[in-house]
Amino acid sequence: MKMNKKLAEELELTFKDIEVSTPEDTKIEIFAHKEQVLTILRFLKDKGYNHLALISCVDWIEKAEFELVYILTPYLQDYEAYKEIGDIHLKMRIPRENPEFETVIPIFANAEPYEREIHELFGIKFAGHPRLTHLLLERDYAIPPFRKDFDTREYVKDVFDSIPPIKGEKK
Amino acid sequence: MRELELYFGPQHLGMVGNFSITLKVEGDRILKATANPGYLHRGFEKLMEYRTWIQNFPLVCRLNVIEPDHMEMVYAMAVEKLAGIEVPERAQWIRSIYLELARVGSHLFGLWAYANMLGFDTIAQWAMYHRDLILDLFEELTGGRVYHIYIWPGGVRRDFPDGFANKIVETLHSIGKCVPDYDDTFFNNPLFYERAHGIGKITQEEAKEWGAVGQVLRATGIPYDIRKVEPYAAYDKVDFDIPTRENGDAYSRIWVIRDELIESVHLIFKLLDKLPEGEVYNKVPNPFKWKVPKGEAYVRVESSRGELGLYMVSNGKDKPYRVHFRTPSYPHGLTILEKVLVGENIADVGNTMISLYVVAPEIDR
Repeated sequence: MKMNKKLAEELELTFKDIEVSTPEDTKIEIFAHKEQVLTILRFLKDKGYNHLALISCVDWIEKAEFELVYILTPYLQDYEAYKEIGDIHLKMRIPRENPEFETVIPIFANAEPYEREIHELFGIKFAGHPRLTHLLLERDYAIPPFRKDFDTREYVKDVFDSIPPIKGEKK
Repeated sequence: MRELELYFGPQHLGMVGNFSITLKVEGDRILKATANPGYLHRGFEKLMEYRTWIQNFPLVCRLNVIEPDHMEMVYAMAVEKLAGIEVPERAQWIRSIYLELARVGSHLFGLWAYANMLGFDTIAQWAMYHRDLILDLFEELTGGRVYHIYIWPGGVRRDFPDGFANKIVETLHSIGKCVPDYDDTFFNNPLFYERAHGIGKITQEEAKEWGAVGQVLRATGIPYDIRKVEPYAAYDKVDFDIPTRENGDAYSRIWVIRDELIESVHLIFKLLDKLPEGEVYNKVPNPFKWKVPKGEAYVRVESSRGELGLYMVSNGKDKPYRVHFRTPSYPHGLTILEKVLVGENIADVGNTMISLYVVAPEIDR
């Protein structure tokens, strides 16, 4: 039996009501509850998943939920080793109303800019984050711009059509 | 001594690209550094949700101005994975050759930036000239010099024209002939050593902790390379080395880049030797009506700067639902840069930043 199948079983035994699946040979997918994420990440880091590649956010507007995705790709040196343990996709959903979660910076230091970006573009607050200031944008928007209900075309129309024409210029 | 706040960039001679750093300094020592990205934020990932799968290609390649090719590759790989498209054998090999050419071009550009910043103008001009020769090859192959859109879901857009393989060999030989000159004037130059050694030093543990990839990690002695870890295209069919260094400072990083450049050239020769015959393109559905099946994919390649990933979600429509690029400059330019600049000299800010190989458009997206 491969290592990642073993790990999937171990995860299911260690943590209550999480969904673990292995959709590909080199990928473990975990659906967890909000409270478990930090413990699972710490557990996985001890198991050798020592590189946080990405924190991503998907806006599932029809279900009124945000999905946070933590992708762990361990530091390995060849395919033989990688085949054995693979990647982790850890997923967690939070409601779209007042979305809040905790920071994972104490576990993975490079999470800092990812969380800042998600805060800015999706409006999710990360408790314990040292600086949730603007990263890429200049100002606040009524709806954070990467949410699905932010329509870029409408926004452009609103903003640029409201600029009065220069005097004497024909409309 | 009095503490001052100093704005370094985006209008600064030592700064390459649209990026700025706010420094808190005492004398000329840095107490705190804050990276300010966002000057090139064009919201590409959002715009991609409004465009069809194929329409996104012109946006994808503009994510990184210096080497758009790895961006095309990672996007094409994600679409192929979601839609289950096979790529013919010859196309895989051509992709590898093309990506290695892109790596050579990108490293030469990086060498230009670094030499220029240190005041080695002659070497900078040589590197720029040699990169131009690579761009000529791209122009003949794809019609574009900087943005090529050559890699396509299902293969590559066209086969090599007649005699193109020989042209690649000739061009690379003419660049390779100048390696001793580069070594004498730049890499083995005591002035370069004096300026670069010990600058922006990070240990192996720190590099892992801060999420370093690419040269930044390899300069600390870890041979982490996606081409070996999770081989794509034709990288598992040929043998090649991963250059590393031990010290983890700017000097080591630039040497890793130099060794990698030479290794890439050798790799292209090996790939050209064994290039198989056959088709280069598997037909994909009509791009105007193409609906990619529901699902999600995370794919990654080794770009010139390190692990480049793409997380893509499809909800079964004709447009992607979510696209998120994990670019190597992101941890280097935002996390590591801020940490290693503390305690450095103002004169070494550009030095540190360019040796970390940060490209601003990749961060901002």
